[in-house]
Amino acid sequence: MEFKNKNVFSLTFVGLASWIVPGAGYFLLKEKSRAIIVFTVVVLTFITGLYIGSIGVVDPVGAKMWYVAQIMSSPAVAAIGYISAGGEYPVYGRPSEVGQIYTAVAGLLNLLCIINSVYLAYAGRVESSGD
Amino acid sequence: MLIVTALIISTFTAPENLGTNPQSMLWLLPLTAAVAVAYKAMKLPTITAGNFIKEAVLLFVSIAAFMAITALVLFAVAWVVTE
Repeated sequence: MEFKNKNVFSLTFVGLASWIVPGAGYFLLKEKSRAIIVFTVVVLTFITGLYIGSIGVVDPVGAKMWYVAQIMSSPAVAAIGYISAGGEYPVYGRPSEVGQIYTAVAGLLNLLCIINSVYLAYAGRVESSGD
Repeated sequence: MLIVTALIISTFTAPENLGTNPQSMLWLLPLTAAVAVAYKAMKLPTITAGNFIKEAVLLFVSIAAFMAITALVLFAVAWVVTE
């Protein structure tokens, strides 16, 4: 946790890495245990959502706000959105709700991790107030 | 190998049959666990296995208990209003 860098490009790089691969920002900051936990949790939560509701829950046309949250998991979600945008994988009712909630929460958790890893890169310490 | 891959992919192309029974609400528990684990991974200054598990379990139980209390209060309010 000695890393302390206020260079805007480094901070952007950490943030982008965290978005592209969940936990990668922590990995760059030599916080390997944090990186492994975050990667596992975000990916497992997202995959569980896809398993419950199918890839139809990622719907950039009919559920834009959910899609905004989902794509925070990784830009790779856009590829799923591209496949499902045609409406070939319809999903309704409770599986749709639960699947969307799981995938969106995975994205929002990763957004928190992106912000936290950028803060860690900036300040060199974990913000634990309010815990 | 190709068949196995096709089977794995096919599990993500059709939704599971969850139903709308009260048991389907149990799907919030894994989500609560995910939130608790991710939150503690971000907030703990140093991560050691014992401390991390203890803190994550404590947060998971806190969230689940708060949701259960909220559900009971809402149920009681609904019961008072409808009776």
